[in-house]
Amino acid sequence: MTIREKGYAHWDGQLKERRFSWAPITGLGIRLAFRKKYFKFILFSSLVPAVVFLAGIYISERIQDFQYMLRGNRQFLEVNPLYFKNYLCGDFLLFMMVMILVVGGAGLISDDLKHNSLQLYFSRPLSKSGYLIGKANVIVFFLLLLTLVPGLLFIVFKLLFAGSFRFLADYPWLPLAVIGYSLFVTGFFCAYTLLLSSLSKNRRYVSILIFAVYLLSNILFGFFYENYKKPAYALLSLSANLQQVGAWFFRLKPAYAVPWYWSLAVLLAFALAAAVVLNRKIRGVEVVK
Amino acid sequence: MIAEISDLHFSYGSVRALDGINLNLGEGAVGLLGPNGAGKSTLLRILLGFLAPQRGSGRVLGFDIRLEQNRIRRHVGYMPEDDCLIPGMDAVTFTAHFGELSGMPRQEAMKRAHDVLYYVGLGESRYRKLEEYSAGMKQRLKLAQSIVHDPRLLFLDEPTSNLDPQGRKEILELIQDISSKKDIHVLISSHILPDIETVCSEVVILNKGRLASQGKLAELRELNYRLYEIRIKGDGDGFGAKIKALGCRVEETEDKLIKAYVPADLDTREIFRVAREENVQVRHFVRSRTSLEDLFARSVGVD
Repeated sequence: MTIREKGYAHWDGQLKERRFSWAPITGLGIRLAFRKKYFKFILFSSLVPAVVFLAGIYISERIQDFQYMLRGNRQFLEVNPLYFKNYLCGDFLLFMMVMILVVGGAGLISDDLKHNSLQLYFSRPLSKSGYLIGKANVIVFFLLLLTLVPGLLFIVFKLLFAGSFRFLADYPWLPLAVIGYSLFVTGFFCAYTLLLSSLSKNRRYVSILIFAVYLLSNILFGFFYENYKKPAYALLSLSANLQQVGAWFFRLKPAYAVPWYWSLAVLLAFALAAAVVLNRKIRGVEVVK
Repeated sequence: MIAEISDLHFSYGSVRALDGINLNLGEGAVGLLGPNGAGKSTLLRILLGFLAPQRGSGRVLGFDIRLEQNRIRRHVGYMPEDDCLIPGMDAVTFTAHFGELSGMPRQEAMKRAHDVLYYVGLGESRYRKLEEYSAGMKQRLKLAQSIVHDPRLLFLDEPTSNLDPQGRKEILELIQDISSKKDIHVLISSHILPDIETVCSEVVILNKGRLASQGKLAELRELNYRLYEIRIKGDGDGFGAKIKALGCRVEETEDKLIKAYVPADLDTREIFRVAREENVQVRHFVRSRTSLEDLFARSVGVD
Protein backbone atom coordinates (compact mmCIF):
# COMPACT_ATOMS: atom_id res chain seq x y z
CA MET A 1 0.00 0.00 0.00
CA THR A 2 1.46 3.37 -1.00
CA ILE A 3 1.70 6.29 1.39
CA ARG A 4 -0.99 8.05 -0.65
CA GLU A 5 -3.40 5.19 -0.18
CA LYS A 6 -2.65 4.96 3.51
CA GLY A 7 -3.86 8.52 3.87
CA TYR A 8 -2.60 11.39 5.92
CA ALA A 9 -0.42 10.47 8.86
CA HIS A 10 0.34 12.63 11.86
CA TRP A 11 3.90 13.57 12.72
CA ASP A 12 4.72 12.29 16.17
CA GLY A 13 7.46 14.80 16.97
CA GLN A 14 7.28 18.01 18.94
CA LEU A 15 7.59 21.44 17.33
CA LYS A 16 10.28 23.48 19.04
CA GLU A 17 10.57 27.19 19.65
CA ARG A 18 13.83 28.12 17.99
CA ARG A 19 16.05 30.71 19.62
CA PHE A 20 17.25 31.72 16.17
CA SER A 21 14.18 31.32 14.02
CA TRP A 22 16.13 32.73 11.07
CA ALA A 23 18.75 29.96 11.06
CA PRO A 24 17.02 27.79 8.39
CA ILE A 25 16.81 30.82 6.07
CA THR A 26 20.54 31.44 6.40
CA GLY A 27 21.41 27.78 5.92
CA LEU A 28 19.26 27.51 2.82
CA GLY A 29 20.56 30.80 1.41
CA ILE A 30 24.16 29.63 1.72
CA ARG A 31 23.40 26.26 0.13
CA LEU A 32 21.52 27.90 -2.74
CA ALA A 33 24.34 30.41 -3.32
CA PHE A 34 26.79 27.56 -3.89
CA ARG A 35 24.45 26.10 -6.51
CA LYS A 36 24.62 29.29 -8.56
CA LYS A 37 26.67 29.45 -11.73
CA TYR A 38 30.13 31.02 -11.29
CA PHE A 39 29.58 31.61 -7.57
CA LYS A 40 32.22 29.14 -6.41
CA PHE A 41 34.66 30.54 -8.96
CA ILE A 42 34.11 34.12 -7.75
CA LEU A 43 34.33 33.11 -4.11
CA PHE A 44 37.60 31.25 -4.55
CA SER A 45 38.99 34.03 -6.74
CA SER A 46 38.18 36.45 -3.93
CA LEU A 47 40.33 34.40 -1.61
CA VAL A 48 43.40 34.79 -3.82
CA PRO A 49 44.46 38.12 -2.21
CA ALA A 50 44.23 36.45 1.21
CA VAL A 51 46.64 33.74 0.05
CA VAL A 52 49.01 36.36 -1.39
CA PHE A 53 48.97 38.43 1.80
CA LEU A 54 49.48 35.29 3.87
CA ALA A 55 52.48 34.42 1.73
CA GLY A 56 53.69 38.00 2.31
CA ILE A 57 53.57 37.42 6.06
CA TYR A 58 55.62 34.24 5.67
CA ILE A 59 58.15 36.01 3.45
CA SER A 60 58.41 38.92 5.87
CA GLU A 61 59.57 36.46 8.53
CA ARG A 62 62.05 34.76 6.18
CA ILE A 63 63.27 37.98 4.63
CA GLN A 64 66.82 36.77 4.23
CA ASP A 65 65.73 33.84 2.07
CA PHE A 66 63.77 36.09 -0.27
CA GLN A 67 66.20 39.01 -0.52
CA TYR A 68 66.61 38.53 -4.27
CA MET A 69 62.89 39.06 -4.86
CA LEU A 70 62.51 42.30 -2.95
CA ARG A 71 64.93 44.64 -4.77
CA GLY A 72 64.55 47.43 -2.24
CA ASN A 73 60.78 47.06 -1.66
CA ARG A 74 61.24 45.91 1.89
CA GLN A 75 58.66 48.29 3.31
CA PHE A 76 56.05 46.50 1.23
CA LEU A 77 56.52 43.43 3.36
CA GLU A 78 56.45 45.15 6.70
CA VAL A 79 53.55 43.56 8.55
CA ASN A 80 51.90 46.40 10.41
CA PRO A 81 48.40 47.95 10.54
CA LEU A 82 48.91 49.36 7.03
CA TYR A 83 49.47 45.82 5.76
CA PHE A 84 46.09 44.82 7.22
CA LYS A 85 44.41 47.93 5.89
CA ASN A 86 45.85 47.28 2.44
CA TYR A 87 44.26 43.85 2.45
CA LEU A 88 40.89 44.69 4.03
CA CYS A 89 40.33 48.06 2.31
CA GLY A 90 41.99 47.14 -0.96
CA ASP A 91 40.13 47.97 -4.16
CA PHE A 92 40.41 44.41 -5.41
CA LEU A 93 38.86 42.87 -2.29
CA LEU A 94 36.06 45.45 -2.24
CA PHE A 95 35.39 44.79 -5.91
CA MET A 96 35.30 41.03 -5.35
CA MET A 97 32.93 41.52 -2.42
CA VAL A 98 30.61 43.42 -4.75
CA MET A 99 30.88 40.59 -7.28
CA ILE A 100 29.86 38.10 -4.59
CA LEU A 101 26.87 40.29 -3.80
CA VAL A 102 26.00 40.49 -7.49
CA VAL A 103 25.95 36.72 -7.91
CA GLY A 104 24.98 35.48 -4.46
CA GLY A 105 23.02 38.31 -2.88
CA ALA A 106 20.92 39.91 -5.60
CA GLY A 107 18.09 37.39 -5.42
CA LEU A 108 17.85 37.20 -1.65
CA ILE A 109 14.72 39.33 -1.42
CA SER A 110 13.85 40.00 -5.06
CA ASP A 111 13.25 36.28 -5.71
CA ASP A 112 10.89 36.10 -2.77
CA LEU A 113 9.04 39.17 -4.03
CA LYS A 114 8.85 37.78 -7.55
CA HIS A 115 7.60 34.39 -6.46
CA ASN A 116 5.29 35.62 -3.65
CA SER A 117 7.07 33.54 -1.07
CA LEU A 118 7.05 36.19 1.67
CA GLN A 119 3.59 35.05 2.71
CA LEU A 120 4.90 31.52 3.16
CA TYR A 121 7.72 32.76 5.39
CA PHE A 122 5.41 34.91 7.47
CA SER A 123 2.84 32.16 7.88
CA ARG A 124 5.55 30.53 9.99
CA PRO A 125 6.58 31.66 13.48
CA LEU A 126 9.00 34.16 11.97
CA SER A 127 9.10 37.92 12.45
CA LYS A 128 10.06 40.50 9.86
CA SER A 129 13.35 41.10 11.64
CA GLY A 130 13.96 37.34 11.76
CA TYR A 131 13.44 37.11 8.03
CA LEU A 132 15.81 40.02 7.35
CA ILE A 133 18.44 38.68 9.75
CA GLY A 134 18.23 35.29 8.05
CA LYS A 135 18.76 36.86 4.64
CA ALA A 136 21.47 39.25 5.87
CA ASN A 137 23.38 36.40 7.48
CA VAL A 138 23.88 34.78 4.09
CA ILE A 139 25.86 37.88 3.10
CA VAL A 140 27.51 38.03 6.50
CA PHE A 141 28.76 34.45 6.09
CA PHE A 142 30.45 35.09 2.76
CA LEU A 143 31.83 38.54 3.54
CA LEU A 144 33.27 37.55 6.90
CA LEU A 145 34.90 34.65 5.10
CA LEU A 146 36.76 37.24 3.05
CA THR A 147 37.46 39.79 5.77
CA LEU A 148 37.32 38.58 9.35
CA VAL A 149 38.65 35.06 8.78
CA PRO A 150 41.73 36.07 6.74
CA GLY A 151 42.31 39.10 9.00
CA LEU A 152 42.45 36.97 12.12
CA LEU A 153 44.42 34.25 10.34
CA PHE A 154 47.03 36.85 9.36
CA ILE A 155 47.53 37.71 13.01
CA VAL A 156 47.70 34.06 14.07
CA PHE A 157 50.16 33.17 11.30
CA LYS A 158 52.26 36.24 11.99
CA LEU A 159 52.60 35.07 15.59
CA LEU A 160 53.32 31.49 14.48
CA PHE A 161 55.90 32.47 11.89
CA ALA A 162 57.55 34.96 14.24
CA GLY A 163 57.53 32.53 17.14
CA SER A 164 56.80 35.33 19.59
CA PHE A 165 54.02 37.63 20.75
CA ARG A 166 56.00 40.74 19.97
CA PHE A 167 53.66 41.72 17.12
CA LEU A 168 50.63 41.56 19.38
CA ALA A 169 52.46 43.50 22.07
CA ASP A 170 53.22 46.24 19.51
CA TYR A 171 49.63 46.40 18.21
CA PRO A 172 47.37 45.00 20.92
CA TRP A 173 44.33 46.75 19.41
CA LEU A 174 44.80 45.20 15.96
CA PRO A 175 42.53 42.14 16.47
CA LEU A 176 39.75 44.48 17.57
CA ALA A 177 40.37 46.70 14.56
CA VAL A 178 40.14 43.67 12.24
CA ILE A 179 36.96 42.50 13.90
CA GLY A 180 35.46 46.00 14.00
CA TYR A 181 36.20 46.88 10.39
CA SER A 182 35.14 43.44 9.11
CA LEU A 183 31.80 43.76 10.88
CA PHE A 184 31.40 47.34 9.68
CA VAL A 185 32.06 46.64 6.02
CA THR A 186 29.93 43.49 6.17
CA GLY A 187 27.09 45.35 7.87
CA PHE A 188 27.19 48.09 5.27
CA PHE A 189 27.18 45.66 2.36
CA CYS A 190 24.29 43.75 3.97
CA ALA A 191 22.20 46.90 4.09
CA TYR A 192 23.33 47.83 0.56
CA THR A 193 22.41 44.46 -0.94
CA LEU A 194 19.14 43.93 0.89
CA LEU A 195 18.01 47.44 0.02
CA LEU A 196 18.70 46.99 -3.68
CA SER A 197 17.32 43.44 -3.65
CA SER A 198 14.03 44.71 -2.24
CA LEU A 199 13.64 47.36 -4.94
CA SER A 200 12.92 45.02 -7.83
CA LYS A 201 11.31 41.64 -8.44
CA ASN A 202 13.87 40.94 -11.14
CA ARG A 203 17.11 39.46 -9.89
CA ARG A 204 19.01 40.55 -13.00
CA TYR A 205 18.05 44.18 -12.51
CA VAL A 206 19.18 43.93 -8.91
CA SER A 207 22.51 42.40 -9.97
CA ILE A 208 23.04 45.27 -12.38
CA LEU A 209 22.01 47.79 -9.72
CA ILE A 210 24.42 46.38 -7.14
CA PHE A 211 27.27 46.60 -9.60
CA ALA A 212 26.23 49.89 -11.20
CA VAL A 213 25.66 51.85 -7.99
CA TYR A 214 29.07 50.82 -6.69
CA LEU A 215 30.80 51.56 -9.98
CA LEU A 216 28.92 54.78 -10.65
CA SER A 217 29.79 56.14 -7.21
CA ASN A 218 33.47 55.57 -8.02
CA ILE A 219 33.17 57.06 -11.50
CA LEU A 220 31.44 60.17 -10.12
CA PHE A 221 34.13 60.56 -7.50
CA GLY A 222 36.88 60.10 -10.08
CA PHE A 223 35.30 62.60 -12.46
CA PHE A 224 34.78 65.36 -9.91
CA TYR A 225 38.04 64.76 -8.09
CA GLU A 226 40.10 64.90 -11.27
CA ASN A 227 38.37 68.07 -12.43
CA TYR A 228 38.02 70.05 -9.22
CA LYS A 229 40.66 68.45 -6.99
CA LYS A 230 38.45 68.69 -3.93
CA PRO A 231 38.88 65.71 -1.54
CA ALA A 232 35.30 66.14 -0.30
CA TYR A 233 34.16 64.40 -3.48
CA ALA A 234 35.47 61.20 -1.90
CA LEU A 235 32.16 61.18 -0.04
CA LEU A 236 30.47 60.28 -3.34
CA SER A 237 32.36 57.01 -3.62
CA LEU A 238 31.27 53.96 -1.64
CA SER A 239 34.70 52.39 -1.76
CA ALA A 240 36.47 55.63 -0.80
CA ASN A 241 34.13 56.04 2.17
CA LEU A 242 34.80 52.49 3.29
CA GLN A 243 38.54 53.11 2.95
CA GLN A 244 38.31 56.36 4.92
CA VAL A 245 36.53 54.58 7.78
CA GLY A 246 38.96 51.66 7.46
CA ALA A 247 41.87 54.04 7.95
CA TRP A 248 40.34 55.14 11.24
CA PHE A 249 39.91 51.56 12.40
CA PHE A 250 43.60 50.88 11.71
CA ARG A 251 44.75 54.19 13.20
CA LEU A 252 46.12 55.46 9.91
CA LYS A 253 45.85 58.72 8.09
CA PRO A 254 42.89 58.63 5.68
CA ALA A 255 43.77 58.74 1.99
CA TYR A 256 41.67 61.88 1.41
CA ALA A 257 41.65 65.01 3.50
CA VAL A 258 38.06 64.52 4.64
CA PRO A 259 37.20 63.65 8.25
CA TRP A 260 36.55 59.91 8.53
CA TYR A 261 33.33 60.55 10.42
CA TRP A 262 31.83 62.26 7.40
CA SER A 263 32.37 59.07 5.47
CA LEU A 264 30.91 57.15 8.37
CA ALA A 265 27.87 59.45 8.34
CA VAL A 266 27.36 58.87 4.59
CA LEU A 267 27.51 55.09 5.00
CA LEU A 268 25.27 55.12 8.06
CA ALA A 269 22.74 57.31 6.26
CA PHE A 270 22.71 54.77 3.44
CA ALA A 271 22.16 51.95 5.93
CA LEU A 272 19.39 53.90 7.67
CA ALA A 273 17.62 54.50 4.36
CA ALA A 274 17.93 50.78 3.67
CA ALA A 275 16.31 49.96 7.02
CA VAL A 276 13.39 52.31 6.34
CA VAL A 277 12.80 50.95 2.83
CA LEU A 278 13.09 47.34 3.96
CA ASN A 279 10.62 47.94 6.75
CA ARG A 280 8.11 49.26 4.23
CA LYS A 281 8.74 46.69 1.51
CA ILE A 282 8.81 43.48 3.52
CA ARG A 283 5.29 42.44 4.41
CA GLY A 284 3.43 39.19 4.68
CA VAL A 285 0.81 40.52 2.31
CA GLU A 286 0.75 43.16 -0.35
CA VAL A 287 -1.74 45.74 0.82
CA VAL A 288 -3.26 47.69 -2.03
CA LYS A 289 -4.89 50.84 -0.68
CA MET B 1 -14.10 26.00 18.91
CA ILE B 2 -11.18 26.60 16.54
CA ALA B 3 -11.57 30.35 16.29
CA GLU B 4 -13.59 33.02 18.05
CA ILE B 5 -13.75 36.53 16.70
CA SER B 6 -15.47 39.44 18.29
CA ASP B 7 -16.31 42.82 16.75
CA LEU B 8 -13.43 42.70 14.26
CA HIS B 9 -12.81 45.85 12.22
CA PHE B 10 -10.24 46.46 9.54
CA SER B 11 -9.91 49.16 6.89
CA TYR B 12 -7.48 49.69 4.02
CA GLY B 13 -7.33 53.46 4.20
CA SER B 14 -10.90 54.62 3.64
CA VAL B 15 -12.06 51.23 2.36
CA ARG B 16 -13.71 49.21 5.08
CA ALA B 17 -12.76 45.55 4.61
CA LEU B 18 -14.20 44.09 7.82
CA ASP B 19 -16.97 45.80 9.68
CA GLY B 20 -17.71 44.34 13.08
CA ILE B 21 -17.37 40.62 12.38
CA ASN B 22 -18.43 38.26 15.15
CA LEU B 23 -17.68 34.61 14.49
CA ASN B 24 -17.35 31.29 16.21
CA LEU B 25 -15.80 28.70 13.93
CA GLY B 26 -16.60 25.12 14.82
CA GLU B 27 -14.45 22.06 14.32
CA GLY B 28 -14.08 20.14 11.08
CA ALA B 29 -14.14 21.77 7.68
CA VAL B 30 -15.56 25.28 7.45
CA GLY B 31 -16.14 27.08 4.18
CA LEU B 32 -15.54 30.80 3.89
CA LEU B 33 -17.63 32.29 1.11
CA GLY B 34 -18.25 35.72 -0.27
CA PRO B 35 -18.05 37.75 -3.44
CA ASN B 36 -14.87 39.61 -4.35
CA GLY B 37 -14.12 42.30 -1.79
CA ALA B 38 -16.23 40.62 0.87
CA GLY B 39 -13.29 40.46 3.27
CA LYS B 40 -12.43 36.74 3.13
CA SER B 41 -8.73 37.15 2.48
CA THR B 42 -8.49 40.00 4.99
CA LEU B 43 -10.08 37.77 7.60
CA LEU B 44 -7.62 34.96 6.89
CA ARG B 45 -4.72 37.39 7.03
CA ILE B 46 -5.86 38.78 10.35
CA LEU B 47 -6.27 35.29 11.76
CA LEU B 48 -2.69 34.54 10.70
CA GLY B 49 -1.39 37.81 12.08
CA PHE B 50 -0.36 39.32 8.72
CA LEU B 51 -2.62 42.26 9.46
CA ALA B 52 -3.46 43.76 12.83
CA PRO B 53 -7.16 44.48 13.37
CA GLN B 54 -8.00 48.09 14.11
CA ARG B 55 -10.69 47.06 16.56
CA GLY B 56 -11.98 43.89 18.07
CA SER B 57 -10.37 40.75 19.35
CA GLY B 58 -10.09 37.11 18.53
CA ARG B 59 -8.56 33.79 19.39
CA VAL B 60 -7.38 31.02 17.10
CA LEU B 61 -6.90 27.61 18.73
CA GLY B 62 -7.10 29.47 22.01
CA PHE B 63 -4.28 31.90 21.16
CA ASP B 64 -4.85 35.64 21.02
CA ILE B 65 -4.61 37.00 17.45
CA ARG B 66 -2.95 40.20 18.65
CA LEU B 67 -0.49 38.85 21.19
CA GLU B 68 0.28 35.26 20.29
CA GLN B 69 0.74 35.31 16.54
CA ASN B 70 3.82 33.11 16.59
CA ARG B 71 2.01 30.42 18.55
CA ILE B 72 -0.88 30.56 16.11
CA ARG B 73 1.47 30.23 13.14
CA ARG B 74 3.24 27.30 14.72
CA HIS B 75 0.01 25.31 14.83
CA VAL B 76 -1.61 26.59 11.66
CA GLY B 77 -0.86 25.61 8.08
CA TYR B 78 -1.49 28.15 5.35
CA MET B 79 -1.96 27.49 1.66
CA PRO B 80 -2.06 30.85 -0.14
CA GLU B 81 -4.06 31.53 -3.25
CA ASP B 82 -1.17 32.87 -5.34
CA ASP B 83 1.60 30.77 -6.78
CA CYS B 84 4.54 30.94 -4.43
CA LEU B 85 7.82 29.10 -4.46
CA ILE B 86 11.53 29.60 -3.99
CA PRO B 87 13.38 29.21 -7.28
CA GLY B 88 16.42 27.00 -7.62
CA MET B 89 15.29 24.23 -5.31
CA ASP B 90 13.39 20.97 -5.48
CA ALA B 91 10.14 20.11 -3.73
CA VAL B 92 11.79 18.14 -0.93
CA THR B 93 14.11 21.00 0.04
CA PHE B 94 11.28 23.51 -0.27
CA THR B 95 8.85 21.54 1.88
CA ALA B 96 11.49 20.62 4.46
CA HIS B 97 12.59 24.25 4.67
CA PHE B 98 9.13 25.37 5.74
CA GLY B 99 8.92 22.46 8.15
CA GLU B 100 12.16 23.67 9.72
CA LEU B 101 10.86 27.22 9.91
CA SER B 102 7.82 25.91 11.78
CA GLY B 103 10.09 24.40 14.41
CA MET B 104 10.83 20.88 13.15
CA PRO B 105 14.37 19.50 13.53
CA ARG B 106 16.11 19.42 10.13
CA GLN B 107 16.32 15.64 9.76
CA GLU B 108 12.70 15.21 10.80
CA ALA B 109 11.58 17.95 8.43
CA MET B 110 13.39 16.24 5.57
CA LYS B 111 11.83 12.88 6.35
CA ARG B 112 8.39 14.36 6.75
CA ALA B 113 8.75 16.32 3.49
CA HIS B 114 9.09 13.04 1.59
CA ASP B 115 5.97 11.66 3.29
CA VAL B 116 3.74 14.66 2.58
CA LEU B 117 4.96 14.96 -1.00
CA TYR B 118 3.98 11.35 -1.59
CA TYR B 119 0.70 12.06 0.13
CA VAL B 120 -0.20 14.94 -2.18
CA GLY B 121 0.88 12.99 -5.25
CA LEU B 122 4.25 14.59 -5.94
CA GLY B 123 6.35 11.63 -4.88
CA GLU B 124 7.74 10.92 -8.31
CA SER B 125 8.61 14.53 -9.08
CA ARG B 126 9.89 15.58 -5.70
CA TYR B 127 13.45 16.13 -6.94
CA ARG B 128 12.47 18.24 -9.92
CA LYS B 129 13.20 21.98 -9.88
CA LEU B 130 10.12 23.94 -8.81
CA GLU B 131 10.34 26.21 -11.85
CA GLU B 132 9.47 23.19 -14.00
CA TYR B 133 6.27 22.41 -12.10
CA SER B 134 2.87 22.78 -13.77
CA ALA B 135 0.13 24.90 -12.18
CA GLY B 136 -1.51 21.81 -10.71
CA MET B 137 1.75 20.56 -9.24
CA LYS B 138 2.40 23.95 -7.65
CA GLN B 139 -1.03 23.74 -6.07
CA ARG B 140 -0.20 20.35 -4.58
CA LEU B 141 3.15 21.63 -3.41
CA LYS B 142 1.46 24.50 -1.58
CA LEU B 143 -0.75 21.96 0.16
CA ALA B 144 2.33 19.88 1.04
CA GLN B 145 4.16 22.80 2.64
CA SER B 146 1.04 23.70 4.61
CA ILE B 147 0.76 20.24 6.21
CA VAL B 148 4.44 19.39 6.60
CA HIS B 149 4.51 20.42 10.27
CA ASP B 150 1.28 18.56 11.02
CA PRO B 151 -0.81 21.62 11.90
CA ARG B 152 -3.95 21.52 13.99
CA LEU B 153 -5.69 23.99 11.72
CA LEU B 154 -5.36 24.57 7.98
CA PHE B 155 -6.20 27.78 6.16
CA LEU B 156 -6.73 27.02 2.49
CA ASP B 157 -7.19 29.97 0.16
CA GLU B 158 -8.77 28.85 -3.14
CA PRO B 159 -7.18 25.39 -2.96
CA THR B 160 -8.61 24.15 -6.26
CA SER B 161 -7.87 27.13 -8.46
CA ASN B 162 -5.78 26.40 -11.59
CA LEU B 163 -6.66 22.71 -11.47
CA ASP B 164 -8.21 20.51 -14.11
CA PRO B 165 -11.32 18.53 -13.05
CA GLN B 166 -9.32 15.44 -12.13
CA GLY B 167 -6.75 17.44 -10.16
CA ARG B 168 -9.55 19.31 -8.42
CA LYS B 169 -11.23 16.07 -7.45
CA GLU B 170 -7.99 14.70 -6.04
CA ILE B 171 -7.22 17.82 -4.02
CA LEU B 172 -10.76 17.78 -2.60
CA GLU B 173 -10.30 14.14 -1.65
CA LEU B 174 -7.08 15.01 0.15
CA ILE B 175 -8.75 17.87 2.01
CA GLN B 176 -11.63 15.61 2.94
CA ASP B 177 -9.20 12.96 4.14
CA ILE B 178 -7.32 15.51 6.24
CA SER B 179 -10.38 17.14 7.74
CA SER B 180 -12.71 14.24 8.25
CA LYS B 181 -10.44 11.53 9.55
CA LYS B 182 -7.37 13.17 10.95
CA ASP B 183 -8.64 15.70 13.50
CA ILE B 184 -7.19 18.62 11.60
CA HIS B 185 -9.61 21.50 11.26
CA VAL B 186 -9.81 23.24 7.91
CA LEU B 187 -10.98 26.70 6.93
CA ILE B 188 -11.43 26.92 3.16
CA SER B 189 -11.92 30.17 1.34
CA SER B 190 -13.25 29.49 -2.13
CA HIS B 191 -15.31 30.89 -4.95
CA ILE B 192 -16.16 27.43 -6.19
CA LEU B 193 -19.33 26.65 -4.29
CA PRO B 194 -19.55 22.95 -5.20
CA ASP B 195 -16.09 22.49 -3.64
CA ILE B 196 -17.28 23.94 -0.38
CA GLU B 197 -20.42 21.85 -0.58
CA THR B 198 -18.32 18.71 -1.11
CA VAL B 199 -15.91 19.27 1.73
CA CYS B 200 -17.47 21.49 4.37
CA SER B 201 -20.13 20.89 6.93
CA GLU B 202 -20.23 24.51 8.06
CA VAL B 203 -20.12 27.75 6.09
CA VAL B 204 -19.46 31.38 6.83
CA ILE B 205 -20.69 33.86 4.25
CA LEU B 206 -19.25 37.35 4.22
CA ASN B 207 -20.61 40.26 2.26
CA LYS B 208 -19.18 43.79 2.16
CA GLY B 209 -17.13 43.15 5.27
CA ARG B 210 -20.06 41.92 7.28
CA LEU B 211 -21.20 38.50 8.31
CA ALA B 212 -24.06 37.60 5.97
CA SER B 213 -24.71 34.10 7.22
CA GLN B 214 -23.09 31.41 9.30
CA GLY B 215 -23.89 27.92 10.46
CA LYS B 216 -24.07 24.26 9.63
CA LEU B 217 -24.86 23.84 5.98
CA ALA B 218 -27.79 21.53 6.70
CA GLU B 219 -29.27 23.87 9.30
CA LEU B 220 -28.90 26.92 7.10
CA ARG B 221 -30.73 25.16 4.33
CA GLU B 222 -33.57 24.37 6.70
CA LEU B 223 -33.82 27.40 8.89
CA ASN B 224 -33.50 30.44 6.74
CA TYR B 225 -35.98 29.69 4.01
CA ARG B 226 -37.47 27.01 1.87
CA LEU B 227 -37.04 27.00 -1.86
CA TYR B 228 -40.02 26.11 -4.05
CA GLU B 229 -40.11 25.73 -7.79
CA ILE B 230 -43.38 26.91 -9.28
CA ARG B 231 -44.86 26.84 -12.77
CA ILE B 232 -48.02 28.74 -13.48
CA LYS B 233 -50.44 29.41 -16.30
CA GLY B 234 -51.71 32.98 -16.47
CA ASP B 235 -50.39 36.48 -15.65
CA GLY B 236 -47.10 35.91 -13.84
CA ASP B 237 -46.34 39.56 -13.08
CA GLY B 238 -49.14 40.16 -10.65
CA PHE B 239 -48.61 36.76 -9.02
CA GLY B 240 -44.90 37.45 -8.62
CA ALA B 241 -45.47 40.89 -7.15
CA LYS B 242 -47.96 39.57 -4.61
CA ILE B 243 -45.79 36.73 -3.35
CA LYS B 244 -42.90 39.17 -3.08
CA ALA B 245 -45.17 41.25 -0.87
CA LEU B 246 -45.53 38.18 1.37
CA GLY B 247 -41.78 38.30 2.02
CA CYS B 248 -40.61 35.80 -0.58
CA ARG B 249 -37.68 36.39 -2.87
CA VAL B 250 -38.65 35.49 -6.40
CA GLU B 251 -36.49 34.59 -9.37
CA GLU B 252 -37.68 33.55 -12.78
CA THR B 253 -35.58 31.35 -15.04
CA GLU B 254 -35.52 31.54 -18.82
CA ASP B 255 -37.94 28.65 -19.16
CA LYS B 256 -40.48 30.47 -16.98
CA LEU B 257 -39.75 28.47 -13.85
CA ILE B 258 -40.37 30.59 -10.77
CA LYS B 259 -38.02 30.01 -7.85
CA ALA B 260 -39.55 31.29 -4.64
CA TYR B 261 -37.48 31.55 -1.47
CA VAL B 262 -40.19 31.26 1.13
CA PRO B 263 -39.52 32.50 4.69
CA ALA B 264 -39.59 29.78 7.30
CA ASP B 265 -42.69 31.20 9.05
CA LEU B 266 -44.80 31.66 5.93
CA ASP B 267 -47.54 29.15 5.32
CA THR B 268 -47.26 27.89 1.74
CA ARG B 269 -51.06 27.94 1.42
CA GLU B 270 -50.68 31.73 1.19
CA ILE B 271 -49.05 31.23 -2.21
CA PHE B 272 -52.06 29.29 -3.44
CA ARG B 273 -54.36 31.98 -2.03
CA VAL B 274 -52.46 34.60 -4.04
CA ALA B 275 -52.71 32.40 -7.15
CA ARG B 276 -56.47 32.22 -6.72
CA GLU B 277 -56.72 35.99 -6.25
CA GLU B 278 -54.62 36.60 -9.37
CA ASN B 279 -56.53 33.99 -11.28
CA VAL B 280 -53.48 31.97 -12.22
CA GLN B 281 -53.24 28.22 -12.34
CA VAL B 282 -50.45 26.56 -10.37
CA ARG B 283 -49.29 23.64 -12.48
CA HIS B 284 -46.11 22.75 -10.67
CA PHE B 285 -45.24 23.32 -7.01
CA VAL B 286 -42.23 21.37 -5.78
CA ARG B 287 -39.98 21.90 -2.81
CA SER B 288 -36.42 22.06 -4.06
CA ARG B 289 -33.26 21.14 -2.17
CA THR B 290 -31.42 24.40 -1.70
CA SER B 291 -27.92 24.32 -3.05
CA LEU B 292 -25.11 26.29 -1.49
CA GLU B 293 -25.34 28.50 -4.51
CA ASP B 294 -28.93 29.37 -3.60
CA LEU B 295 -27.92 30.00 -0.01
CA PHE B 296 -25.04 32.16 -1.12
CA ALA B 297 -27.21 34.16 -3.52
CA ARG B 298 -29.82 34.63 -0.83
CA SER B 299 -27.26 35.74 1.75
CA VAL B 300 -25.39 38.24 -0.35
CA GLY B 301 -28.40 39.37 -2.32
CA VAL B 302 -27.12 38.52 -5.78
CA ASP B 303 -28.41 36.17 -8.47
